[in-house]
Amino acid sequence: MDLKNLTIRKFHQGLITKEFSAVEAVTEFFNAIDVEDKKINAYLSLDKDGALKQARKIDLAISKGEDLDLIAGAPMAIKDNILIKDLPATAASKILENYKAVYDATVIKKLKNSKAVFLGKTNMDEFAMGSSTENSAFKITKNPYDLERVPGGTSGGSAASVSADMAIGALGTDTGGSIRQPASFCGVVGMKPTYGAVSRFGVIATVSSLDQVGPITKTVEDAGIIFNTIKGKDNFDSTSFNAQYNELLNPDFNRIKKLKIGLPKEYFIDGTDEYTKKEIQKAIDKFKNLGFEIKEISLPHTKYALAAYYIIVFAEVSANMARYDGIRYSRLDSLKEHTNKLWDIYFKQKGGGFGFESQRRIILGTHVLSSGYYDAYYDKAQRIRRLLKEDFDNAFKEIDIILTPVSPTPAFKIGEKSNDPMQMYLSDIFTISLNMVTLPGISIPVRKFEKGKELPVGFQLIGKAFREEDILGLGQYYEKN
Amino acid sequence: MAEINKETLEYLAQLAKIELKPQDETKLLKDLGEILNYFKQLKEVDTSNIEPMTGGTFKKNVFRNDVDDLRSEINATAKDITDAFPEKENGFLKVPPVFEQ
Repeated sequence: MDLKNLTIRKFHQGLITKEFSAVEAVTEFFNAIDVEDKKINAYLSLDKDGALKQARKIDLAISKGEDLDLIAGAPMAIKDNILIKDLPATAASKILENYKAVYDATVIKKLKNSKAVFLGKTNMDEFAMGSSTENSAFKITKNPYDLERVPGGTSGGSAASVSADMAIGALGTDTGGSIRQPASFCGVVGMKPTYGAVSRFGVIATVSSLDQVGPITKTVEDAGIIFNTIKGKDNFDSTSFNAQYNELLNPDFNRIKKLKIGLPKEYFIDGTDEYTKKEIQKAIDKFKNLGFEIKEISLPHTKYALAAYYIIVFAEVSANMARYDGIRYSRLDSLKEHTNKLWDIYFKQKGGGFGFESQRRIILGTHVLSSGYYDAYYDKAQRIRRLLKEDFDNAFKEIDIILTPVSPTPAFKIGEKSNDPMQMYLSDIFTISLNMVTLPGISIPVRKFEKGKELPVGFQLIGKAFREEDILGLGQYYEKN
Repeated sequence: MAEINKETLEYLAQLAKIELKPQDETKLLKDLGEILNYFKQLKEVDTSNIEPMTGGTFKKNVFRNDVDDLRSEINATAKDITDAFPEKENGFLKVPPVFEQ
C-alpha cells in the first residue's frame, strides 16, 4: 500500500474494490507507526486491539455487500482531549495521567456510526494551551519536515501523524489556531468550523466560548468528508446548531469561481518573515491567474485582537481548570495516601499536576476575573470582541472569502520560544480573530513541499458563518488547478 | 491595572488553590508583568458604547423538556462514571472531610 498518497477518497475506492482489506490497511498503518513514530512522537497511546476489531467488522460488512460511508475503515488519529470510551484521555497533562474516558464524545460517536477506525490518541500542548506542543507533560513531538522543529500546536500530534503518513486523517481542536497553525507547519490541511457547527460534548474544555473540533487531512476534499460526518446539532451541547449545507462533498465550482476574495491589509504587514510572504504571494497569484476578483479590505481592530483574545483565554481557562481538583477525575499517585486532607489534595494536585504554562494561565485568569479588575480586563475584552466581529461583518458586505497567512513564520526550532510567553503568544496573531468572531477557517498548503529540504507554509481562507462550503469549495478548486 | 507583586501572586495562587514551586515564582512574576503590560494597549480603544460580546453563540436560551430521554444517547452507565472516581464507596463519590482544615 502507498500510504504517502492515500486520501480518504482513494482509501474508500481501494476498500470497496477489494484492492486491500480494512485489516490489511490498519496493520500497514501500525507498521508505519512502529517505524516513524520513534522519530516523530506524534502518538501518546495506541489502540491496536480496538482498531483491528473495528477493521474486522468492516471487512465482514464488505463481504456481505453492505453499503459503506466514505469514511468507513479510514484509520484516524484523535487528539488526546477528545474522549473515546475506555481509552486514555490525558489532554497531555500529568493531572489526567491515569484517566480513562467512560463515554464517547459526540464526534467520536458519529465517526463510529460511520465505521471510522481509531489508531490512537495524539500528543498536544497540555489542555490545549500553547502553540508548539512543547507543553505536553509526556513527550516532544517533532515536525516531519525537520526533526529539529516543532509541529506547531496545540494539535501538533494530530498534524504530525497525518503529515508523516501515520494516519489518513485526524481530529484536532482549535481555540485560537490549534488546528490551522500545526496544519500549516506540517504541510497538511486543517479546518476550524464555525462555532456551533460541531458538538464539543466529550471534548475536554479549554476556552468554552472559543473551542471547536475539526479535521486535519491531506486534502481539502478529505477535510470536507470528515466535517460532513462530525457536524450537526447535539442535545448535549446547547451551542451546537444544524446549519444547512448543500455541497460539502460536491462543490459547485461554477458558483465557487464567482466568489470574491478579500486581503485584509492589517494581515500583510512587517513582522511576517520573507519566506512566508513569498509563499503566500504565490497562493494569491494563483487565484489571480485563475481569474478570481481580489481586493484589499480592512479589519481595523486587528491589532487589539491578541490582547483581548488572551484575556478571554485566561479567564475561561481558570474556570475550566478548576475541576481537576483530584476528587472527581484523577489523583496524582503521590497523593494516594493524603485522603483525609481536602485542602492538601487541592493544592498539591494542582501544584504538582499542572505544567508551568497551565499554572501561568490559571493565575492570570484568576487575576483578570478578581474583584475590581473585571471591567478593566474581561468586560473590556468582550467589547473588543464585538468590535472585531463588526470588522468582519463590514468586510463581508464586499467580499465572500478572506485570504491571509496562517502564521507569521514557518515552524520554529524546538526550544526557540518556550521561555518567552509573549513571543509564543504572538505566533497566533493571524488565527485568533476567527475564534473570537466564530467564523470558519481553513489552512491549506500553498504547494507541495519537500520533506527534509523545505518548510511548509499554509494560507488561510476565512468564510462567513456556517459557510464551510465556500472555503472547502475554493480550497478544492485551488488544489485541483 | 496594577502590577503584580510577590504578595499578590501568592494571594492569586491561594485563590486558585495551586501550591507554587518556589523556584517558579520569580519567572511567573516576570511573565505576568510582561503579559499584563501588553494588555494595557486596550485602553486606547473607546468601548464605552459597545455592547460586550459575551460568548461564541448568538442563540438565546436553549430549552429541553426535563425528562430522562437522552440517556440512551450516552454509552456509559452511572456505574461506569462512579467507577472512574479516584475514591468511591457504594457507588458514591468519596470526598475527604470538608470542615476539618
